Amino acid sequence: MFTDPAIWRFFGEGLVQTLGLSVVSVIVSFVVGLAFALGRLSSRRWIRWPSTAYVEAVRALPVLLLIVYFGIKGSSFFRPIFGADFELPRFWAGVLGLSLYTSAVLAEIIRAGVLTLPRGQTEASRALGLSYPQTMRFVVLPQALRLMVPAMMGQLTTVIKDTSLVGTIGVFDLLRQGRTIYTQFFNPIEVLLIVASIYFVICFVLSQLSRRLELGRITREAKIRMTELELRDQAA
Amino acid sequence: MPGAIAFEFPDLFFGGLWLTIQLSVLGLLGALVLGTAVALLRVSPVAPLRWAGAAYVEFFRNTPLVVQLFFLFLGLPLLGLRFATDTFDNIFRAAFVGMALYHGAYVAEVVRGGLLGVDRGQIEAARSLGLSYVQTLREVQLPQTFRAVIPPLGNIAIALVKNTSLASTIGVTELLFGAEIVESRTFRAEEAFLTATLLYLALTIPLGVVMNGLERRLLVVR
Repeated sequence: MFTDPAIWRFFGEGLVQTLGLSVVSVIVSFVVGLAFALGRLSSRRWIRWPSTAYVEAVRALPVLLLIVYFGIKGSSFFRPIFGADFELPRFWAGVLGLSLYTSAVLAEIIRAGVLTLPRGQTEASRALGLSYPQTMRFVVLPQALRLMVPAMMGQLTTVIKDTSLVGTIGVFDLLRQGRTIYTQFFNPIEVLLIVASIYFVICFVLSQLSRRLELGRITREAKIRMTELELRDQAA
Repeated sequence: MPGAIAFEFPDLFFGGLWLTIQLSVLGLLGALVLGTAVALLRVSPVAPLRWAGAAYVEFFRNTPLVVQLFFLFLGLPLLGLRFATDTFDNIFRAAFVGMALYHGAYVAEVVRGGLLGVDRGQIEAARSLGLSYVQTLREVQLPQTFRAVIPPLGNIAIALVKNTSLASTIGVTELLFGAEIVESRTFRAEEAFLTATLLYLALTIPLGVVMNGLERRLLVVR
């Protein structure tokens, strides 16, 4: 049956969903995560505390719980805007669950990046008359984000692995397509090995790339901190 | 009151929590044993053993845990391998093996980093004082490694607790699955998932606090 091109097209459709979901989730999470990272670094308590609570609470939760929750209740959040019959497409319910979790993780990565920069840089630019937002935008963030590129690429592999969970809420991603195939042909061993190999090739290449990439000089402490973040959030 | 629903369905919430705890503890023990063994392979002087260790780590780290769980749960019985004749025991043990295999790969990387972190001069000194390879490993390298690996292992433990929720996909009625069952019976999604959330936080947040404390103490000792 694996000589039938229709089977491979079926896998292909799943792969497109998996990759699309990963890319969209990472982009959404980056924007939201950046906001929360800045929130956590803020000197105003009423911004810092809620941001900290968000990041710490969400990171302490299983991503599957968030995905399942938005799979069930995702539509109801948008009904006040789009009307009572609105059904959130499954793809976007998946994006919601994945992004909520990933944004908290990226917020932590970005914050770690900002904190590893020497304080003198911020102080110097403030002394030169730049405002706090200007300092962030022109001095701190460009450097911090560059430092964090490898860690963020590592996170991308985690997101790709996590997308395999959206099958539970009805997104036809790679794993879900595979499950449809093996319930039809009763060959879970072959199908799961193929699915695992596809994930493996993508994630292995990305993780090797992220290991090779080093876009700035990074201190030993920063590296240790990053591996710790990676362990906690990447194992997910 | 948030969480009150837990007392309406105690066997699903507290029973589920108990399965989550069991799976976490057993999975962590399995991952520690397996991970340490693989780490020793990865630093061994014999090249094929090192390759085997590396292949294990890369395979399990770069494929999703759910795929591994499905394989253990559906694939192995077709090859004639079942963990238990009883269906419930079989899925629980499949989940346990999956947890140990997947997190074992992460543990292996941490332990390997710890072993390589020990100053080479110490190893050479121990060897030239007449200690065998195994003695050097046991008396010199492992005690120092132990201290270095505690904080990162804590992070893996937290990830493991969260990842036990994936066992729900193969039918283990742990905490998340319990909440899903309650939701499907009552349609009270907010209450059911908020309760599960609180129970998960009750496991992961104290674990994180303990780990931070340990980390600080171990740093002072150094």
